[in-house]
Amino acid sequence: MSAPHEQSGEQPHVQLHVQPHEQSDSRPFASLRGQLQEAATEFAGGSDALEGILLGLVDDVDRAIREPLEIFPVCHHSPASALAMARRLREKQPKVVYLELCEDMAPLLTELRNCKLPVAVQSFATGIDGFPAEWSPLSVVAPITEASAEYQAIAYALDTPGVELVLVDRSSDHVFQWDARGEQPSEPADPDAPPAEEEAALHGDAVGVEIGDLRPRFAELEEHLLRHGRVRHWSEWWHQYVELPLGDSDHDTYRQVMFLIGSLFRRLAPGDAHRVRVDEDRERYMWTRMREHRAATGVDPADCLYVCGAFHAASRVEEFGIDGADTFGISPRTATKWQHGLIPSSHAAIEAQFGLAAGSVSIAATVWAKNVKRTRVEPYRLEGQAGGRKSRARKKTVAAPPPVAEIEAKDRLTGFLQQPPVLDGLDEAELLGWSVDIVRAARRNGYLSSTADAIAVFETSILLAGMRDRAKPTPYDFQDAAVTCIEKDAVPGRRDVRRLVEIMMGGDRIGQVGYESLPPLARDVHDRLAPLQLPLEKRGVQRALLDIAGRPELASCSDVLWMLRRLLPHGAARPIMGERKLGERSIQESWDLALGTHQRALIELGYEGVSIEQVLEQRLRRAAYAPTATAATVLEAVEDATLYLRSRRLADELGHHALTVLTTERSVDGAPEVLRRVRRLLAYYRTSEPVLPPWIESFVKAGYAHYCTLLPVAFTDEDATVRQVAAMLGFLFSMESLALSLGCDRTQLELSVGQSHPQDPSKTALLWAAQTHLGTLPRAELRARCDALLGNPLVVPSYPRYLSGFVHALEPVPGLTDFVVEAVSNAFGRLPDPVLLPWLPTLITTLRKDGADLAPLLIREAGRIFPGRLAALDAWVPPWLAQPAVDAARPGRGTGGGAAYAGRSALLVAHPQTCDAVAELLGCAGEWAPEGSGPGAASGAALLGRHPETAAALGALLGG
Amino acid sequence: MSDLLRAPAEIKYAEELDWLESVDDNPKPFSWRLSPKMVRLFIVGSERADGLDREIAPKWFGDRSFVERSIVTLASDRGLLLIGDPGTGKSWLAELLSAAISRNSTQVVQGTAGTTEDHIKYSWNVSMVIAKGQSRESMIPSPIMTAMETGTIGRFEELTRSTSDVQDALISILSEKYISVPELGSDRDSDNIVFAKPGFSVIATANSRDRGVNDLSSALKRRFNFVRIPVVTNKKSEAEIVRFRTEELLRRHQIELDVPPTLLDVLLQSFADLRASAAAAGSDDEKLESALSTAEQIGVLEDAILHSNFFGARELTARTLASSLVGSLARREPEDLAILNKYLHGVVEPRSTEEGGSWPEFLEGGRDAIATLS
Repeated sequence: MSAPHEQSGEQPHVQLHVQPHEQSDSRPFASLRGQLQEAATEFAGGSDALEGILLGLVDDVDRAIREPLEIFPVCHHSPASALAMARRLREKQPKVVYLELCEDMAPLLTELRNCKLPVAVQSFATGIDGFPAEWSPLSVVAPITEASAEYQAIAYALDTPGVELVLVDRSSDHVFQWDARGEQPSEPADPDAPPAEEEAALHGDAVGVEIGDLRPRFAELEEHLLRHGRVRHWSEWWHQYVELPLGDSDHDTYRQVMFLIGSLFRRLAPGDAHRVRVDEDRERYMWTRMREHRAATGVDPADCLYVCGAFHAASRVEEFGIDGADTFGISPRTATKWQHGLIPSSHAAIEAQFGLAAGSVSIAATVWAKNVKRTRVEPYRLEGQAGGRKSRARKKTVAAPPPVAEIEAKDRLTGFLQQPPVLDGLDEAELLGWSVDIVRAARRNGYLSSTADAIAVFETSILLAGMRDRAKPTPYDFQDAAVTCIEKDAVPGRRDVRRLVEIMMGGDRIGQVGYESLPPLARDVHDRLAPLQLPLEKRGVQRALLDIAGRPELASCSDVLWMLRRLLPHGAARPIMGERKLGERSIQESWDLALGTHQRALIELGYEGVSIEQVLEQRLRRAAYAPTATAATVLEAVEDATLYLRSRRLADELGHHALTVLTTERSVDGAPEVLRRVRRLLAYYRTSEPVLPPWIESFVKAGYAHYCTLLPVAFTDEDATVRQVAAMLGFLFSMESLALSLGCDRTQLELSVGQSHPQDPSKTALLWAAQTHLGTLPRAELRARCDALLGNPLVVPSYPRYLSGFVHALEPVPGLTDFVVEAVSNAFGRLPDPVLLPWLPTLITTLRKDGADLAPLLIREAGRIFPGRLAALDAWVPPWLAQPAVDAARPGRGTGGGAAYAGRSALLVAHPQTCDAVAELLGCAGEWAPEGSGPGAASGAALLGRHPETAAALGALLGG
Repeated sequence: MSDLLRAPAEIKYAEELDWLESVDDNPKPFSWRLSPKMVRLFIVGSERADGLDREIAPKWFGDRSFVERSIVTLASDRGLLLIGDPGTGKSWLAELLSAAISRNSTQVVQGTAGTTEDHIKYSWNVSMVIAKGQSRESMIPSPIMTAMETGTIGRFEELTRSTSDVQDALISILSEKYISVPELGSDRDSDNIVFAKPGFSVIATANSRDRGVNDLSSALKRRFNFVRIPVVTNKKSEAEIVRFRTEELLRRHQIELDVPPTLLDVLLQSFADLRASAAAAGSDDEKLESALSTAEQIGVLEDAILHSNFFGARELTARTLASSLVGSLARREPEDLAILNKYLHGVVEPRSTEEGGSWPEFLEGGRDAIATLS
């Protein structure tokens, strides 16, 4: 910290040392200058930096006062500013009001009357062009409270005929153009900061802009002011040292003091070059805009009022003033398309966004209301302003006293700085009221507080205020006193005393955007949900019961709700009962709706389109055509389009796209998902449509060829999991009939299975299963292979992995279930414990993770095979062990069994009538050969001799 | 240098208090020796803007509003109960307050399981009672009763350690502000009631870790204002406290020894680490038994200083610091040692390779100490 800064931190105390001087000089601030010069000499021993700063302050004030276009300096959330503004507007009746607010927000301001304040004016852009893509979405909010000077200016300008309101600050686009996000590392979040509450997060991650940001830019200065002011935070300091003294001061004093404070903070700011540049550019921008406006309209500067933060009023840029240099070129906006709207805000959100102390905005609102009552100043209020008390019908005729002629500004600063600290008289009744109220509130919240506590709080507040050099306890003193006297070792309820005082002092107020100011989409949603007859605009959760069977008109509400659920953040619309699946319709649904709480999300949805269908369609399209989209995500979009929009057109379009995506895919990661979704869609189309949509036919066809091609690779690829390969096989086998009917060739599948040579045991098992399904591997062979695995001590440890392959094979080859049960049973029966036991958890997790739908199949089959009762178990022989015995008992099948064959021919010979009758029917004039001659070559030759045409044709073919 | 091992605050800062009293022209409540503003100034220290001719050093480090609330409570008719974790400076604040207000911080009742009502009210000099009978002369007033008679501050340390019925003896003292002595007769004119003079109040301290042992009755709670003193987690002010207390200690022991700032950092950092691990621990077995308060830190440093002064090379080293850290914090045999061991290997070891400085030596000392203990 440099020496001048340290010295000038004492500035507020200079007042103690300056002596009243006669105002002899003709210039307004000459005497003040003289005194400051003396003070500087006294403190720093000569003309140096301190003197420069002190005199610079007076110069700044002087310059701002002399500006022909009246500058009205304000501070945010300052009731004194608001009051002074209301007074000045009534007095001056300006024709043009220039306001420091993003110029592109102007059209929205008239909508404020439909809203319950505080709300925030928002500029929002998703389709960004000219900024880094990772900044998207861009959002700027300017919260507006009723107790603010800007609201006074807006209300006056909009409701007084013939008055023009001109917003002159840089546009939302420039906010980001001048943003140094890319250049500066973002500050690390404060680790001690408490997590944001729901109300505090109302603005989302928008960039906040505010009129009249006035706060030391210099941490040491702020710390110094707080310590000497015996206050805890900045808001309290402001309240104590600026609000109260300025409360009832006249216009000139107000302006000069605000100019002085603005100048002080400006001159004592550390040299953050970027921030200074942005501030100065904004000032240049505003003055340039004002000059442009004047040039266009030719309005007299005396009829204008320029409302800006005190910080900017003390500007030293060359463009300052109506006669300032015209050298600033306003850069064009980028091609980003900005949307504008109003979103609900809250005191807590404003405090969180702008780093104010908790409760300070609420206290400002309370002070404003009290000041209005006390001073009888009639504030401006937009006609028909929603929320709050109804404003009394104003007598319009009285409103316009003739504008007061400007008198030359006098030095009010010296008087102000010399006046002793204002001691706001103790308002005993108010303090008593507070004390009684807090005790009641505490009692309601579980504290054992009594009248004795009210007395103690009252007494302690006064004592505390006394210790902090003030006669009247501030709300913050009162809060401390209440905590001291009422808070004990534990908090009995949900809120502690500190919070209770905050609530009592006004509490958080949450704004609401009125129906008329909502974007068309949000209005549409409210209209369409009207049949539910719920106050959806209110905050909190509402339960909606939809008896769709009884009231079919509610079906459309249900559609809207499902779309909202898909589009809004979690919690805005939550189904409690009822679900939406392809091909199903619910007859009853119940929902928890919190649209009022999530109003901002709904409004931001409105920036994307005019109806939720349109927004959903856009989002689905965007998801499907994203460069990262996979076949599975596209199919999901198809499903959603069918499910929520019932749009065959969109589904077809996206389906065709899915086809394209699938054929370009080279990995099989999405195979399980693709299989699941295609199956579901196929089932849906088969039941609900007369013919399958062409895209899904092509998809199946292309998928068949695609997966056939990828199969050999997937079997050997280490990255492809068993589950994925199983899903591929599942696709191939379950879509086979459809694919073949559409012209696919089964040989392709057989070839690709033939080409597959997996190394991994589980994939090998999968391949065996596939071969069994295709008929190239008989079951007996499969069983023999498994037995061999179990019998070979070298490979036994890998048997469980074969088994997991078989379990996965249930998906493509469900016919193998009994075999899998057999294999698992064999494993339990024959695997040695050191192999079996470690594998069991794996089996369970595999089944739970991948086989949730396969397990029931296995269990059912096992239930069929195993005996149902314990008693039966002793005598039970597993079917696979019983099989050979049955085989032996049964007369031999196939060609091998000689004895069986003999038995059969003996039977035929014994009963020749059957054969004869069949032969006669077939027109075959055969005769019985004697036993033993066998089916020799002779009969074949005889047959050929009787029908020579076949042989002749064959001969011709071969010979040719 | 006084010949007391540990002088109470009013003796230690007698000169400063005298001076403050001489310049204090603000109104003083009751029989207070200093005005509330001066009491605050004495405790939290002066600033240039206070316009005093000499500088008053801060003696208690923490949020000013705690001090203000405490002073204001004493000026009201309620008692003050300072509550907080062990080692947060409750007793020190109580001592400073009573020294500043009534120049006597020694009227202390120590709450224990063995504290009886006699310790709070009065007891009898048995031999005198036998010789002369019960009278004012044969009565032994408790520190609280003495405070009542003189209109000063009485202190009750560790209020929640004493049993509930004993605690409740305070109820009538705090609300009626007198103690009746029925043994002296029931006549109206007999001297059987001791009334409190204006200025009397009670500062009690309670340990928030003892909650649930002997909970205060709601009647007693109502008569106390609670001021909760939080554990200092701000590293800057903690460093301030440790430095202040260490200097005082060195002065008291007349030891001339330098505490290198880097070692102070090592100490603060290791406590911060251990606190973080205690906060993340799931069960009591995973955290150290110690509360890891600032007082504990001072204890570790004191131990290390004394050790290096008398057994070492009259120079504080990281090795000594580490062994006194382990020695003071390892209280339960397997659990605490295991945690410290984990801390040394998991946190200090990587840091010593990364940052160097005093850490490698600290690590070595810690390892040796653990090896000796286990």
